[in-house]
Amino acid sequence: MISITDLLVDNHIPSNYFASDVYVKGDLELGLLENRRGDRLLALPATLIQGIYAGLENETGQAAGMVLFNCGRWWGKNFYTRFCEELTDYYNKAVADMSMVEFLQCLRQCWVTHGWGRIELDQSHHHRGLLLIQIWNSPFAREAQNSTKPACHLEAGVLSTFFSQLTSRELHCVQTTCESLGSDCNRFILGLTKRVQPAEEMVERGLDHDTILQQLCS
Amino acid sequence: MHPQIDAMFDEAENRYLKPDELNTLNQYVESLPDRLETYRCLRDQEVTIMQRVAEQLEQQFPSEKIEVLERCLKNALLVMRYSAMGMLLNDELFLQTRLISWLEDTVKVFNTQTLDTALYRLLNQRLSETLTGPQLRLIQPHLTLAERALIQPAPTAPAL
Repeated sequence: MISITDLLVDNHIPSNYFASDVYVKGDLELGLLENRRGDRLLALPATLIQGIYAGLENETGQAAGMVLFNCGRWWGKNFYTRFCEELTDYYNKAVADMSMVEFLQCLRQCWVTHGWGRIELDQSHHHRGLLLIQIWNSPFAREAQNSTKPACHLEAGVLSTFFSQLTSRELHCVQTTCESLGSDCNRFILGLTKRVQPAEEMVERGLDHDTILQQLCS
Repeated sequence: MHPQIDAMFDEAENRYLKPDELNTLNQYVESLPDRLETYRCLRDQEVTIMQRVAEQLEQQFPSEKIEVLERCLKNALLVMRYSAMGMLLNDELFLQTRLISWLEDTVKVFNTQTLDTALYRLLNQRLSETLTGPQLRLIQPHLTLAERALIQPAPTAPAL
């Protein structure tokens, strides 16, 4: 028989850890932003993102995308560690013991609360070894002016390491559509490096998302 | 806090509140003792109410896995706790932003709408036995909001 008292461990039921109004705390006088555990958060002004883009473009030219992608990989590595630590602390169980649904539910809310837009995962190509990711309202796409190619290199880097660590496989991530180019959302294809890498050249050639996906699966 | 009252405090930074604004505030303040009493009642009766719901749910779904029933009951406990707080604050958005948007996907993925429909029917029966009419009227809008969001309406038969 189910006992309600047993369901209420310490009279507490874990719920939406990343709820925006609970997660982000600030002390204006000290100029500090913190999350609910007291870890420091950093607010990135739009002008800083624009400045980073412009500076990298000036300094490194065509390599700017690669630099941002690698920065994203570092960011993603630390983000994954912190994300898992926070989930383990709050839900009182290891991330490996969480269901995929719970894990993704937390990731979605975490993404929104950090101001990175809305993220959705599409597992329809899972059997082909590909994970499709869509992001709406990305601040990193919004600040990419005059781009002629998908511009969310930072996010592509974050996603590639995040899911590499989650699956313990070396995964690569290629962006195929971008809000900065007038698309409805930013689409990313994630999979084993040798499977996904050909997509980079297809993006360069200007192929659309569906065609790229079709060619990767053929 | 109720969004209307919240906005009122922000807007009134350099003026006195208008009579109709004071009225809104007054209505909320006057309703507070009832809200507090309803909150206390829900808090104190939580285990009794939900235990009874759990037992009836187990009877109605004897072949359902215990962990599925437990997940639905845990979600209902959360819905009740957030509804109670939303009722205290007179803020329906509280439940929506903090909990519902987060729960919606899980409910869909685990496909527990049938179970949830039965659960909320039982819960409403228990609440109507435990709370007075005015107390029910205070909590009901919040619960209805959760029910609507979490229990998808059954697909209607196509028109012939």
